Amino acid sequence: MALPSDRTRADDGSMETSALTALLGDTWFGADLPAGTRARVAALGRLVDLPEGSVVVREGLPCRALGLVVSGRVALRLGLPGGQDRTILTVEAGDVFGWSAVLPPAISTSTGIAVAPSRAILFDGEALRAALVVDCELAAAVYERLLVSVARRLTATRIQLLDLYRPATEPW
Amino acid sequence: MPGRWFLPRAEMDRLFGALAADGRRIIGPTIADGAVVYDELRGPQDLPMGRTAQTAPGRYRLSETGASRAFDYGVALTAWKRFTHPPLVPLTRSRRDGDLVTIEPVIEAPPKLAFVGVRGCELAALRIQERAMRAGPAGDPDHVARRDASLVVAVECAQAMSTCFCTSMGTGPEVGDGADLVLAELDEGYVVTVGSPAGGAIVEPLALRPALPSEIDRAGEQVAAVRASMGDPVPADGLPERLRAALDHPRWAEVADRCLACANCTLVCPTCFCTSVGVASDLDGIEGTTERRWDSCFSLGFGRVAGDANFRPKVADRYRQWLTHKFSTWWDQFGSSGCVGCGRCIAWCPVGIDVREELAAIAPATAPVGPIPWPASPAGGRAPEARPIVAPARHVTATLQSTEPETADTVTLRLATNDAALLAARPGQFVMVELPAFAAPPISISRIRPDGLDLTIRSAGAATAAMTGLQPGAQIALRGPLGRGWPIEAASCQDIVIVAGGIGLAPLRPLLDAVLADRPRFGAVRLYLGARSPRDRLFVAEINALAGRADLEVAEIVDRAGPEWLGRVGIVTQLFDQATWDGSRVTAFVCGPERMMRATAATLERLGVDSAATWLTLERNMACGVGTCGHCQLGPFFVCRDGPVFSVAELGTAFGREGL
Repeated sequence: MALPSDRTRADDGSMETSALTALLGDTWFGADLPAGTRARVAALGRLVDLPEGSVVVREGLPCRALGLVVSGRVALRLGLPGGQDRTILTVEAGDVFGWSAVLPPAISTSTGIAVAPSRAILFDGEALRAALVVDCELAAAVYERLLVSVARRLTATRIQLLDLYRPATEPW
Repeated sequence: MPGRWFLPRAEMDRLFGALAADGRRIIGPTIADGAVVYDELRGPQDLPMGRTAQTAPGRYRLSETGASRAFDYGVALTAWKRFTHPPLVPLTRSRRDGDLVTIEPVIEAPPKLAFVGVRGCELAALRIQERAMRAGPAGDPDHVARRDASLVVAVECAQAMSTCFCTSMGTGPEVGDGADLVLAELDEGYVVTVGSPAGGAIVEPLALRPALPSEIDRAGEQVAAVRASMGDPVPADGLPERLRAALDHPRWAEVADRCLACANCTLVCPTCFCTSVGVASDLDGIEGTTERRWDSCFSLGFGRVAGDANFRPKVADRYRQWLTHKFSTWWDQFGSSGCVGCGRCIAWCPVGIDVREELAAIAPATAPVGPIPWPASPAGGRAPEARPIVAPARHVTATLQSTEPETADTVTLRLATNDAALLAARPGQFVMVELPAFAAPPISISRIRPDGLDLTIRSAGAATAAMTGLQPGAQIALRGPLGRGWPIEAASCQDIVIVAGGIGLAPLRPLLDAVLADRPRFGAVRLYLGARSPRDRLFVAEINALAGRADLEVAEIVDRAGPEWLGRVGIVTQLFDQATWDGSRVTAFVCGPERMMRATAATLERLGVDSAATWLTLERNMACGVGTCGHCQLGPFFVCRDGPVFSVAELGTAFGREGL
């Protein structure tokens, strides 16, 4: 399934940006952004509905947008031969998917699928990269949050790698 | 017959005769294999007359003194614990007849012994070990019976070995309280001091003459000279605190390079009490016996738990455990030092490690005392009080009513019992579960019912495989309930956060039952569950039903899943690390693998949950369940007895510290 079309693009772009700015302020990603920066981030985004089953990014293909989940749940999966995909993480309100869109060559590292009806703010990758090059304040804010998000995943992945709940053998 | 008397050397056999007439076998010093050992004596002729010992780190040699004195050898190689805490003690005999299980304790009448030649330090050691064996909810009745059946004839030291340091430990060379008789050896005989009515009854028939003042004075001068010769080689003031503050000292690794982990030091130590339980059975597994055997914290597998995890894998960890236990955490546990300064560990270390030297390097008297790793000593609240009566560990037979498969390797056993103690179990407590011919693992209680208990057991080896394979009607033996449970009362009026990882949900289920049974008493209740995969989730139907309740928030996550799983994937902290609830109102209960609990505790702390209100249950090698085998020690705690439920604040930095 292709990226869904946006539902909320209004004729009046400034009102949409205002609504998105408010929405962004309710998320972990945008809550602590300075007001001006938050508005500039919001100006790059659009709110979309993601019906269950929507594929938002696809592993190995160009990642065209950074997504910030507003509601619902997006599963990030890695493909295995024979179609035995594994979900390695789920992303919920406040967290991001498609961070590869920010980093050239902008190729997705996993496949993202909405596993519940979801909403997300999508930031066009090309536009976002261009903005981050010229707007240092914006870049500092966005990169820091992406780093926090990726670091959190790295920490979680390390713990998952420990396979703490694996079957045990008795010592006695 | 109080007072001081004189026993001529030539009449020592009369004392032996009086002890024998009291029905006692006489145990005392004698020479075997080039060393003085404590063994049964036929008479005074077996004493090591005219011999003394030269000791040094890694060295012990006997030599002739040219005199006829019998007690100039220091201390024997083997401590008296061989008789009060024997290397091997049968515990139970068990049998399975079809579904029926019987487990009977082996109760042997203790031998009536007289210990002749007990030194001041050794008398203190007997007292210290006895206190450890009387501590806790059910101590070691075998030890207590043997100790009660023994009579102590102590002997003042007239010589100190180079390895002695009883003066520093406050245990000698003078003989303290507790001896039935005390002998002070002079060239011509013994000044005999009566220390108890039992001792008086022994010497009264001997019709000894009173000791002369000059004899009493010479005896006093002898022991005073011994004290002067030793000095104070291990300054003990502040030593427990100095050691606690030195847990990360580089010397631990250095001494570990020399230490062979041979366990000699713990075997010759007069206070070391650690044991393991061995199981033997016939070939068809119908009959079994269990035996308690000496073990050592130096054994590689001593701190091992399920899953090949070993809490003290390095020699440095094990040496640190031994030394800090002896000189520091023993105070927390039993209100005294665990070392009496007999010096055996120095002489009998094959590589000559000298505990005095290590203490001086690791915790010198001049060392500033830094922050201690655990905030408060449990002493006073836990163990030090000696109990006059020790209840033997008791087995109760329960009958399996039904089984509920939870996952591919985990089964819940629904057991029926009318045992009042078991039915009064508290959420968070555990039981030792035993089948004839199998080791008895500790299993958390996963539900407390009016007519029995549920145990949720993961098949992880022979014992648990046998348990999970039982069919309804089969019997199983339980010992418990044991340990400290969840402090539900402390959570009254608080919001409740329950975080479970894997089979860690099992000990939390009775807590959840209790909270839901009294739901208005608590604020918001949130249940966060982690599992390895969707098919490894426990109590699925129950959890699904709970998720439908309006007065309870339930969130689940799994480590890995296929595309058919539409729930959350990630680690359990992901369920609440962005939470907006007020942590200051929360009491949290956590159970899972220790690494998962560390991550959970850190997240809860970041959310404002007080470390004193974050409770978790630890996994350690809980072999006896009552704090007498020593396996599950963590710093000052016996996890089985003081826990397994602890608050994060109680544990301090002992929680998650490697090698403890």
